[in-house]
This record gives sequence, structure tokens and C-alpha cells, in this order.
Amino acid sequence: MIINKKYFLLFILVFQSTNYSQTDWVRWEKSDPTYQIAETYLEREYDLSIKSAADVIVKPIINTYWFFISDVDGANCPFHPSCSSFLVQSMKETNIIRGTLMFFDRFTRDTNAFGRHEHYPRFGTNHYYDPISLYTLDATKIKYIPTNTFIKE
Amino acid sequence: MLKLFFFITLLSSLIYSQQIDFNSPSNIKLFADYLFCDKDYFRAIDEYEKYLQIVEDDSVQFKIAIGYSAINDQSNAYKKFSSIKLTSSFYEQSKIEMLKSLYLQNIDSSYFLYADILTHSQSPFSNNAYRLKNSSLLLIKNDLPEKENFLIPFENEEKKSLSNFYDLKNNPPYKSEVRAGILSAIIPGAGKIYTYDYGDGITAFILTGLFAYLAYTNFEHNHPTRAWIFTAIGAGFYAGNIYGSVASAQIFNARVNFEFNEGVKLFLEEKNYFVPTNDFCK
Repeated sequence: MIINKKYFLLFILVFQSTNYSQTDWVRWEKSDPTYQIAETYLEREYDLSIKSAADVIVKPIINTYWFFISDVDGANCPFHPSCSSFLVQSMKETNIIRGTLMFFDRFTRDTNAFGRHEHYPRFGTNHYYDPISLYTLDATKIKYIPTNTFIKE
Repeated sequence: MLKLFFFITLLSSLIYSQQIDFNSPSNIKLFADYLFCDKDYFRAIDEYEKYLQIVEDDSVQFKIAIGYSAINDQSNAYKKFSSIKLTSSFYEQSKIEMLKSLYLQNIDSSYFLYADILTHSQSPFSNNAYRLKNSSLLLIKNDLPEKENFLIPFENEEKKSLSNFYDLKNNPPYKSEVRAGILSAIIPGAGKIYTYDYGDGITAFILTGLFAYLAYTNFEHNHPTRAWIFTAIGAGFYAGNIYGSVASAQIFNARVNFEFNEGVKLFLEEKNYFVPTNDFCK
């Protein structure tokens, strides 16, 4: 039996298009990407619960500062964690006196704008990594990270 | 015409078709060798394993182990090296490779036990094991042996580097935490300068000096409230700087330890852990 050329061509076309057609449509689906830079500094732990004496004094001040100044002003602290978060975390880690001393020392480092590139590892795109664990005066907790290291957010 | 076309198509497909048996043992090995020399160790190991199912070959077993070692899968590398038979020409070398794998996994008691066994064996690589063992002593906290005994297994060119490492281990250039604190108590910022944090030291001096001056002038001009606020802030910077200087000395010492360990590791890596290398890709 001689196959009709027209039907044969049609068959091949249908066969080709069904067998080799695109089936993975997920990657082509519409998406709504955000181009906004992730603002991790805004992930504040707004909390007024009192667990120690330090919380009575520090938490209201810090929460007020975050709400009325820092969150409005933007992520201007060059460090991660930011100076205010550093204060809260250092007091949680140690006590009110040592936490205060750690904060004043951090604030001195924050004021010094020179030589940061050679001194701190980087955190994310534009912050220096300066964790609390380096300053608790517990040598076993110090994990030295070389300055040219990039730490992902 | 149509028949001629079909004939030519059929004929050419028969005559010029691929005749090579890619799955023959020799071709599998050839491909595996190519991948191995191309440093594609993952796929090379797969091909070598395929080859070993057909042919028994100790050099291929050794290459598989080398491949695992190269991709830093030291656990599998150790297993493969230990499976090399006593009759193989790679047997002795596999022993020192096993020591290297143990070192790269963890420097623990089993590593030192095996290093001791190998050092005191009749192996042609016993001195290599001795050198690796002594070098890795630098990375643990135990007391080192006497310098002369420590340097015995090393060659002259290595002795200089190892001697420096030995001296650094025994007398690391640490900064005293107490001295840093006292210096900052005497002159604000001096402790930080002592630990080479010049910028922080100068900033601490300026901040403390500035608030002390503000407090002084406000007391002098009879503004006690402002004066006490500046006194509190100045005192905070002063005390914080003493605290920070101690912390800075600790961080400095942590950096000294880190750089020392990295230096020893780099030295050993450059020396290939005193393990002889085979050039399988000539």
C-alpha cells in the first residue's frame, strides 16, 4: 500500500512535535522576582520580656532606638551584628557590666573608619563581621576568621 | 531513483558505521586514564571500577585510591589503599598513603599509633612516615621532643623551615593580655597599639580625651549635669578600652595560632605530606 505523502508528512510533523516538544514549563512560568536588597538588619527581635536586670534598662532603650531611629534611618552600621544588636547580644551572653564594656569597645571600633578592610572578614555585600564570641574574654570561644574571608548572609 | 537513494543510505550506514567496542576492557581503561589525567577523578574512579570488574589490576586499584585521596574522600582512600595486596609493587607506597589519609582525616591517637608502626618498620618509606609524624606534632598541643631529636628525620633543606616552626611553636609571638590591659589603663588606646590595632588605639585615645575634656570644661563652667553625663560616657570609653585591649590581645594570639597552623599545613601540602608521587600521566 502506498502511503499518501501528505498524510505521511503530517504524521511526521505531529509525531515530532508531540515527542520532542517542551514539557518542562516550570522554568518559563511567570514569576515575581524582587530586586530589593535583603535587609537583614530589619529582622529585629522586638521584645520587652524581662529575664535579667539588664533587660529592665536596656530593652526599652534599644527597642525605642530601633523603632524610631534605626529602622527609619537604614542599615548604617558597618558591622554585623550592628552595634545595637551587639549590645543586646553581649548582655545576653555575659552581664550588664561586661555587656556595657563590650559595647563601648565596639563603639570605639565603629568610630574608627581606618583599616577596616585589613581587620575584619566581610559579611554579605557591605558589612564587616565582628561577632560577640571574639570579645567575651573566653579564649576557647574565639574562632579566628582571616580578614579576606567572605561570610554569606 | 528512490531505490538508489535507499540503497546508498543503507550501504553507507553499514560500511561507515562505528565499529569500535567502547566497552572493551582496554578502551574502558584508556578512557579512565584520560579522565584521571584530566583530574576528573569522580568519573575516572567509576570507569576504573568498571574495568576492575573484568580485569584484576593493582595499578588501577592504586589509582582509584589516589583518586579518592585527590578529591579528599580520605575514608574511601584509606579503604582502597589498605586493600592493596602484599604482592603488589604499590604495597609499600600504599602504606605511607594510608598514613597521609589518616593525617588528613584527623590527627588522633590511631594516627600516631600507625605512624609509629610505620616509622619502626622495614618499609622503604619509614623515614617519610617519621617526617610526617614529627611535622604533625607541631599541630597538636603536646610538648615537643628536644629540637635535635625532632629534626633528625628531615633533610637539610627541610630542616630550616622545621626549625623555624619548632621555635615558633615553643615561643609563639603572643601578646600579653594583662600588659595590654595595663597599658590601656595608663594611656587610653596604648593596649590596642601594643596589639597592632593602631587605628582603634588612636580612636580610643581621642574619644576618651575628648569626653574627659568636655567633662572638665563643664565642671569648670559650672554645668554639673552635662559634666556628669560626659564623665559617664568618658569613663565608659576608658573602661571599655581596657576591656577591649585584653580582648584584642586574645584575638591577636588566636591569629598567631591560626597562622602557625596554616603555615605548617601549607608546608606539608607543598611537600605532599612526604609521600612520593607517581606520574601516571606521562
